[in-house]
Amino acid sequence: NLHLILSSDEKYHGGYVVLRLALAGHKQANRPFYRIVAAYNKRARDGKYIEQLGSYDPLPNIYNEKLVSFNFDRIKYWIGCGAHPSKPVAKLLGLAGFFPLHPMTITEAERRRAQTQRTETATGTEETVEEGQKPVEV
Amino acid sequence: MAALSTARCLFRSYSRVKNVQKSKQILMKCSVRTFCSETQDNAPTDNAKPSFSDPAVQDVLTRITGLDLQKVFRPIKQELKPPAYQLMTDKQLEEAVDLATEQAKKLLQMPPVLPERKPINDVLCEDKMLDGMDTAKYVFTDITYNIPHRERFIVVRQPNGTLRKASWEERDRLIQVYFPKSGRKITAPLIFEEKNLKLVYSQDRHEDVLDLCLVQFEPDSSEYIKVHAATYENLDKHGKYDLLRSTRHFGGLTWYLVNARRVDGLIVDMLKRELFQDAVSLVSLFHMVHPHSESAQEAASQQATGIDLLKIYAQKESQRSGYIELALQAYEQTAAEGSAA
Repeated sequence: NLHLILSSDEKYHGGYVVLRLALAGHKQANRPFYRIVAAYNKRARDGKYIEQLGSYDPLPNIYNEKLVSFNFDRIKYWIGCGAHPSKPVAKLLGLAGFFPLHPMTITEAERRRAQTQRTETATGTEETVEEGQKPVEV
Repeated sequence: MAALSTARCLFRSYSRVKNVQKSKQILMKCSVRTFCSETQDNAPTDNAKPSFSDPAVQDVLTRITGLDLQKVFRPIKQELKPPAYQLMTDKQLEEAVDLATEQAKKLLQMPPVLPERKPINDVLCEDKMLDGMDTAKYVFTDITYNIPHRERFIVVRQPNGTLRKASWEERDRLIQVYFPKSGRKITAPLIFEEKNLKLVYSQDRHEDVLDLCLVQFEPDSSEYIKVHAATYENLDKHGKYDLLRSTRHFGGLTWYLVNARRVDGLIVDMLKRELFQDAVSLVSLFHMVHPHSESAQEAASQQATGIDLLKIYAQKESQRSGYIELALQAYEQTAAEGSAA
């Protein structure tokens, strides 16, 4: 079975299978919703895919949750067949605990923390500057 | 027992009762979760106290529930179809009535009474290095089709980096999102709030509330148990037992009252409607569940059956013994007259 799938990839499509996010419902502007999908590498991002393996909603809901679903059984099958996960899918799987954590997730978290620290110190200095100015004006 | 076996065979096809599946081995043994799941879990405590799903207890409860075909098959709100008329011989009519009783028994199958579920507090991983990665939580659900909902993995990655298992409420909500069940809403309908419940009770629509509750909540969730307790209390206070008499909720009501030891109202109601056999079976159930009470020990020592059980119960346990004894005397007189004449 594995042999058949690999040969049909390479000879006919000249590509390989990837697990990636495909935008669904592109008729709606400013409301993204992704499907986690097993597709051939060279296909259009939103075009024909082999199988849908889950979904990802990037906008948080009323409970402040971003809903992600994975069909782990089929993901294991496709990874067993030699599918490559894309970077965002690998990040999501790392966050889920299925894969080890992606290094970029950790780097992004560190960058965000540095950013928040910088804004905090900036507002801190701004406040002290304002306080210093006020008694002088009054 | 025939009802149990037919129920076992036909359970899968019956869509009204929820099919929350427990562990696989229990599933494979018997597809009717009401009857098997609790006995597996409570085996060591069974000798001490009979549980809701014991065959003996279930037998008594089904007998007390009664089988009023007119009430079970009363017109409910459904799609309008033109009626179909059939010409039948007497024998075919009997067979049709038998089929109807079988279907009624299926419809009257009791939803299980389970202890309240314990909250989930499992943390799978603490990643301090992910602190502040995002402002929102990520909730990951496993959508593999063949696993029972109780065993599904639903994990939450919080903004401070901890990976924890989702709580019961989150689980119920997400399973409804990805595997929607007809009739269930994502947020609980407003009818289950206190003031709305009071309105519903004043309109005598306890049965509808209990049906809605059964569809919406899991049987071991706290809201389910609360709503059922409130409904049963209200019924007990106003003595409106007949509303539930030929429905699937009657067993649950009786079980709740027996465990709370407040069966007097129900026995008085049964005697008013002259259901003496039901009253007798109710008292025997009470003795089964509370074997250390005075009336149970007295009955065991005297080996009493039938009316004597009721008399012993009236003397020892009940607060309304006067009424019960009067009713028993009247019943004995009519019985004596009937046998004499």
